[in-house]
Amino acid sequence: MRILIIEDDKDVASFIRNGLVQAGCNVDHAANGKDGLLLATTERYDALIVDRMLPGVDGLTVIRTLRASENSTPALILSALGEVDDRVKGLKAGGDDYLVKPFAFSELLARLEALARRTKSGSDAEPTVLRAADLEMDLLRREVRRGGQAIELQPREFQLLEFLLRHAGQVVTRTMLLEGVWDYHFDPQTNVIDVHISRLRSKIDKGFDRPLLHTVRGAGYRLDN
Amino acid sequence: MRYPRLFRTGVFRLTLAYVALFAVSVGALAAFIYWATLGYIEQQTNAIVEAEINGLYEQYERTGLHGLRDVIAERVARDTERRSFYLLADAIGRPLAGNVPYWPRGIEDVRGQWVDFVQVDSETPVRAMLLPVGPGLRLLVGRDIRELTQIRRVLRSASFYGISLTLVLALIGGLLLAVSAERRVAALNRTTRQIIAGDLSKRAPITGSNDEHDELAQNVNAMLDQIENLLVGMRHVGDSVAHDLRGPITRLRNRLEVVAEADTPQREDLADCVAQLDQVLATFNALLRIARVESGAYRSAFTTVDLAQIVRDVCDLYQAAAEERQIVLRYELGSDVEVFGDRELLAQALTNLIDNAIKYTPAGGTVQVQLARSGDAARLRVADSGPGIPEADRARVLQRFTRLDQARSLPGNGLGLALVNAVTFQHHGRLTLGDNAPGLVVTVELPALRPPRVAAQRRLTAPDESSIGRR
Repeated sequence: MRILIIEDDKDVASFIRNGLVQAGCNVDHAANGKDGLLLATTERYDALIVDRMLPGVDGLTVIRTLRASENSTPALILSALGEVDDRVKGLKAGGDDYLVKPFAFSELLARLEALARRTKSGSDAEPTVLRAADLEMDLLRREVRRGGQAIELQPREFQLLEFLLRHAGQVVTRTMLLEGVWDYHFDPQTNVIDVHISRLRSKIDKGFDRPLLHTVRGAGYRLDN
Repeated sequence: MRYPRLFRTGVFRLTLAYVALFAVSVGALAAFIYWATLGYIEQQTNAIVEAEINGLYEQYERTGLHGLRDVIAERVARDTERRSFYLLADAIGRPLAGNVPYWPRGIEDVRGQWVDFVQVDSETPVRAMLLPVGPGLRLLVGRDIRELTQIRRVLRSASFYGISLTLVLALIGGLLLAVSAERRVAALNRTTRQIIAGDLSKRAPITGSNDEHDELAQNVNAMLDQIENLLVGMRHVGDSVAHDLRGPITRLRNRLEVVAEADTPQREDLADCVAQLDQVLATFNALLRIARVESGAYRSAFTTVDLAQIVRDVCDLYQAAAEERQIVLRYELGSDVEVFGDRELLAQALTNLIDNAIKYTPAGGTVQVQLARSGDAARLRVADSGPGIPEADRARVLQRFTRLDQARSLPGNGLGLALVNAVTFQHHGRLTLGDNAPGLVVTVELPALRPPRVAAQRRLTAPDESSIGRR
């Protein structure tokens, strides 16, 4: 993945850069909005990490300008404030996701991967069947099969699996699940999501040799491809 | 026996004491006037009688019996108003001269003494003096004291009515005084009670009269400002600590996470450290979230929120966790209830309540969530069958970091109910903890937006979003 970080705080920028490089990404860094805008318009990136508060041109303006020039590179907004309508403002300006500082690096990475992936498959028409290994979900008929065997799911379990399938092969954090499946944005009590996952796991993995749904310690879950 | 509030006030009791003291003073004054006035008039009368009797005696000594009789006759004739009375009698009481027809009964023995009698033919009260003037001769000289008795009567009734009126006026004055004082003190008491109930922004009313009540209210208010400052300062310190430590701890956590991913023998321990740091961060975040809620920052983003949908969502989120612990989680929705608020905050508040309920309810128990409209309020109840909270601790558990002994063994940071409390307060609601016998029942009452019937009509006539957004 090729990532551009637009962030004026050197510590945060180097922390993100180190982590991303370690995760195998190619990282560029701009320390202010003007330079960031220049890089974002001249180079191609898989995703942008944009701090809200920047000297000169602020983060939201950077994203708004990019969107106005039909640049749809996915952008993740970082905010130190965590103010109430920040998320709404950020998303309205054209941001694709939002993270409050300080954050766990695994959360950032998971969200970045989800963003970068979304655009890659985004150009195609909306698929009606989602697949991971021998697991298949028919969105129109609302059926789930694994190895040809039908699996009965509750509506919420179906949504949960759909979200995991759309992010198959990636780490999905608990907050991402609460946002994606329940549409709430606060920190879930860890064990609440875990119980839903373990129930889903018992339905899609039980009786099969190869487990598909994994728990990634300290980060979240991953559905294998 | 229960007295009305007023009669228990200190001012009223003081008033009663003053009324009594007043009565005694007025009584003493009246008595003095009575005795002084009567004494003076009596003295005047007595002096006239004495002067007359002395004069007559001298006349007798000078001119003998005949001279005396003449003088008496002359004086009687001169006294056209019949205010003076004379009687010269012999030893057996036969009148020899004067205007009293016969010797009054019962005054034979008194010599040189004052006697009062009623003149029979004119019913006039008379003050008289008796003097033996010679062998077998007795002289009685008296004076009409109708005036004296009249004045006595007037003074007596004046004293009686005066004292009565004074008592009544003093009592009325005292009551008015007590009522006004009671009213001012009651206002101060109301304020202090509201503050005790948790609304530290309340202040005692100041009337601008600059009296001692105002001074008291001003001092109480100054004290409250001080307390509020200290409290805000304390919270600010807590919040700053949380805020400032969040960064370094997150960095520490992230580095540990990277180390934990490497294939070291301490992998498990390191992962455990990360999990524990996540707990610390969760506590800090909860603390900062409460601070943000209390600052009123969320208010600007309040919109119409479907409370029933939140109940459905959060119960759905917790259903699996409840079943895992063999607890029945049920919810009842009386009607759709909309409130003006923040969807995320309300959902998190309900999350905290249900999380607590499930945490403290033993296996086999029940957690019941109810949403109903009662009047203008949306009433959200979360009842469990756990151990409940003793009444004495109920106010305490709403504060930050309060963890009761029975909760210490369970995970948690003591901020859950504090957040619910802050969220409820920001929504102008009321949070009450009660007994579910057994268990705890938490009731959150929020101002509901409008009756469902009206809402339904509105939806029929104006289904577009703008009409809802305009309210």
